[in-house]
Amino acid sequence: MNFRKVLKFPGVSRTLSVLTTLFGISVFVFLVLRVIPGDSITGAFGIETGALTPQQIAELRVYYGIDKSLFMQYISWMQSFLSGKFGFAYSTGVSVSTLTKSSLPVTIELAIIGTVLGVILGIAIGMFSAKKPGSTRDFAGQLFGLLALAIPGFVLSTGIVTIMANKFHYFPNGYEYMTPWENPWMNFQQMMFPGLVLGIAVAAPVMRTTRSALLETVDKDFVRTAHGKGVPNNKVQFRHILRNSLIPIVTMTGIQFGYLLGGAVIVEKIFALPGMGRQILDAIMKREYATVQSSIMIFAIMFVLINVATDIVYRKIDPRILK
Amino acid sequence: MRNKEEKAKGALHYYLQSTSGVVGAVLVLIMVIVAICSIFGFTPYDPVEQHIEDILQGPSAHFWFGTDEFGRDVFSRTLEGMRRSLTVSITAVSLAATLGVSFGILAGYVGKWFDQLVTRVSDVFFAFPAILLALAIVASLGNDWYDTALAIGVVYTPIFIRVARGPVLTVKEMDYIKISRVLGFSSFRILRKHIFPNVFAPIVVQVALSLSWAILTESGLSFLGLGTQPPTPSLGLMVSEAQPLAAFAWWTLVFPSLFITIVVVGLNLVGDGLRDALDPARRSS
Amino acid sequence: MKISQRRIRGLVAIASTVSIITGSLIAAGPAQAATKDLNIGLTLDIDKLDPQGATSFATVRALGLVYGSLVEVGPKLDIRPGLARSWGFNAEGTQLRLHLRPNVKFQDGSTFDGADVKASLDRILDPANKAAARANILTIKTITVDGLDVTLDLTIPNVAILAALDGVNMSMLSSDDIKAGNIGKTVNGTGPFKYVSWEPGQSVKLAANATYWGKKPKLDTVTFRVIPTEASILSALNAGTIQFSVITSPLVAKQAGSNLKVYKTPGLAYVTLQLNAKVAPFDKLGVRLAIQCAVSRAEVVKTASSNEGKVIGPITSPAYASDPKARPCPNVDLAKAKQYLTDAGYPNGLTIKTMVAPTQFATASGTAQSLKSQLAKAGITLEIDAVDDSTFVTRWLAGNFGSSVANNGGRIDPDTMYTRYFTSTGNLNKVAGYSSATLDANFTKGKSSGRVADRKAAYTAISKELEDNAVWIWLFAPYEYRIAAKSVTGFIPLATGSLLELRKADMS
Repeated sequence: MNFRKVLKFPGVSRTLSVLTTLFGISVFVFLVLRVIPGDSITGAFGIETGALTPQQIAELRVYYGIDKSLFMQYISWMQSFLSGKFGFAYSTGVSVSTLTKSSLPVTIELAIIGTVLGVILGIAIGMFSAKKPGSTRDFAGQLFGLLALAIPGFVLSTGIVTIMANKFHYFPNGYEYMTPWENPWMNFQQMMFPGLVLGIAVAAPVMRTTRSALLETVDKDFVRTAHGKGVPNNKVQFRHILRNSLIPIVTMTGIQFGYLLGGAVIVEKIFALPGMGRQILDAIMKREYATVQSSIMIFAIMFVLINVATDIVYRKIDPRILK
Repeated sequence: MRNKEEKAKGALHYYLQSTSGVVGAVLVLIMVIVAICSIFGFTPYDPVEQHIEDILQGPSAHFWFGTDEFGRDVFSRTLEGMRRSLTVSITAVSLAATLGVSFGILAGYVGKWFDQLVTRVSDVFFAFPAILLALAIVASLGNDWYDTALAIGVVYTPIFIRVARGPVLTVKEMDYIKISRVLGFSSFRILRKHIFPNVFAPIVVQVALSLSWAILTESGLSFLGLGTQPPTPSLGLMVSEAQPLAAFAWWTLVFPSLFITIVVVGLNLVGDGLRDALDPARRSS
Repeated sequence: MKISQRRIRGLVAIASTVSIITGSLIAAGPAQAATKDLNIGLTLDIDKLDPQGATSFATVRALGLVYGSLVEVGPKLDIRPGLARSWGFNAEGTQLRLHLRPNVKFQDGSTFDGADVKASLDRILDPANKAAARANILTIKTITVDGLDVTLDLTIPNVAILAALDGVNMSMLSSDDIKAGNIGKTVNGTGPFKYVSWEPGQSVKLAANATYWGKKPKLDTVTFRVIPTEASILSALNAGTIQFSVITSPLVAKQAGSNLKVYKTPGLAYVTLQLNAKVAPFDKLGVRLAIQCAVSRAEVVKTASSNEGKVIGPITSPAYASDPKARPCPNVDLAKAKQYLTDAGYPNGLTIKTMVAPTQFATASGTAQSLKSQLAKAGITLEIDAVDDSTFVTRWLAGNFGSSVANNGGRIDPDTMYTRYFTSTGNLNKVAGYSSATLDANFTKGKSSGRVADRKAAYTAISKELEDNAVWIWLFAPYEYRIAAKSVTGFIPLATGSLLELRKADMS
């Protein structure tokens, strides 16, 4: 079988393009990090690096694996990444995979809560608005959408934290982080507010997309037909109108989930959640190369997978997309 | 076919019919005027001048928006901040739009390996969480405002590539383009006369939205300590610097936040208005 | 009405869920009041388990509770017995004899003796181990052990070495652990608390050490928890989810609620505008003096640090502290500043750059902004070159800056504080940018004399030379805020920043 024919198989070219993208990301993140001044030694020792002798520095360069050529550093990181260890996080003395095992679920949970809250809020307010375009309730809904879009996440987060803690003496994130398996109630309390902050950010575009998609579908023939056939109003609303507006909403949600992974950086910092965003931020500051590289790769893989998943969902809800 | 002037008039007409478009334009216009005031020094005080005797004063006839911990006039700083924020976001979006649109149109038009390459590279940038990518770029380049603008510009380029490439792919297959090619018109002419007008509308909308995102991204970077640097303020820097002050000097946080909100809301409304005005399908509704 | 099987099952499920939730609520509530658990919030996680190599704020604080040193520095900066019960110098100051505390146990049950002291000091002195305090004890020539008596023979007279024996970087380790290569992997000290676990990025748990040589701590456990921003730490304190923290931002500390107690002490650390005399235009004395005369320290404190902090001279060690008034232009003198500039060849002023890392310490960016505003009045344009922490350190170490706003750690002895910066052979002399024969001579004099008066004279001379030449522009000592819930009693803050006195703290 020749190569071109192999490429024609449905999954193959898609997989290939995903792989080249991931390869590009790996090279890019690797190089960007090397351009930032400072290295793992200054990251770990700070000003005390000045007290090290040249011989000690040479030994440390071997220890941190930064004595080798860039090419070899890349290869050994890739080896470690593909083996599932993801490299070694020097400041904690464990492999990046060990760190990621505890931090990734936090971020995923946060992103899922954010997405779910955002989608529910967004669709609800979108429907609420679209029911009577131009009315006061439409105005209120749209105003919410705009404000949610315009207030920086860190302002909202600090506002919530400060008010809850100072006025109500309530800040569950000050307790040790609990996984949903250890203590579901505590986990819920710790995730609630950060999830809401992210949810509001997601709700804005979802709400706007929902509203305009609904307004467009309302005029379509099949909706009129349904009304004409005497289908109850609520049923038309959900079965016919919402269902047919789902495609843009799903697209928007897919995009937002990727955004959430990034937004988590700021929210995790303020709400003291031990997630991936914080792991990357700390590692950038400490020049823990392997941690940054591997964590961003994991983000990227998730992002790419979500794109693929969004595509699949598309096909499910709209049978017309079948090329 | 209608001539250009008529077309532009039509678009303006439709734009003015959209309430959100008009409200947005007014809000943005006010903010732009505010920024221009600051360029020409029409601020009550020098935004970096420290009035040591008037530290953390609340809003008053002297200091309309109060003063910060250095006794600097928050009103003057907010105006200056608006100017800086707009400068950063306009520079970033111009960069992103120029690069993104050129590559997007070319990729769509030329196709083949070039399209593959551009799409792959933009996918690479797309898969990065924006704030982390900007953070890494700022950390390696430095912290001057143009470094921040460059970082944000790079982050937004792939969006423009996608926005521009899509319509080109559709238009390219249309008969009149194929005929133009057969007739031997130069690629440049085809691009300029037939393709660009078709991608123009989505790009203009995207520009308005990206401007608002850029302002927010810059403020996020400031919060992480890597945005615009003091003492010349951007709105993002002012808001992040005011965080610890908020409990006893609310004015240091509220006013710059308010200005961010106004300009971001305004830009989004302008985006809505433009979308309605430029998209013939929506004009009916 | 007949209740279906299915519905019953549903009710049971709901009931059990409710009971689980209420159960966990109670478990998280006052049911645990029987044990005294202190939760401490810090912005950073610890970064290693080797106390002798610890340099980060969190690591030093946490491991300081687990390990012990030969001497301790008390609340009045007096040197008190630690693992050494008593000591004495010979008349020349070239020999230090230490008598160790008997019956001290490591947390693994083995006994602490002179062999452990020798092994620990040898480990610090061996450059391969990258011990942070190595430079401070390089004058040790030989270490002789006789049971619980340890004799240190020194290469030169050096009474300053006694104070250098304090601190987490001078932790005494078990000789068996050192031999087995366990340091940094297992944690085994003589301190009041023992190590339980470390969840990277989240928390470090310690528990009371029942075999501690002093009084057994009243707290059952101490947990260091990572909360990345000081504002969130304060929120956790206000909400009562943590009971103790160390905060550096005066703005944040100001917002402490009425349920909290704030211990505010000037630390030994100091904020300074470092001038690099090896780089133009700072190689011109006139330029440096002009800056000196144009800067009001009080104004920097008032604006950048919310009027919290103490104006200081070069030496912050209390027994030898420099008089901040004894400097050229103790009060701002713009005319003089301009005169200095004109004499140095800049009659129209000049532009200088200063490197600053805004995230490095709370008042970094504010200090730079205040300096910029003040220097502008003397015709000096200060450009702020803001970088991230690691970049700052890299350039700082390489001396790759003209000036920089830094927050440097102080020591209770001026010898350990400045020898590394201002002697021509000091490992940070490149960073300091200045040295002279007279400084070298005075540092040797200060180190070797056993008489406090003689030492004082030497360090006053050093201080004077540093100020008269405006080597750096020393600004102020920021306060360190230790904030505790009112239920925490008996804690005594130490100027070294150590939290060791949590061993005496109690919770009600």
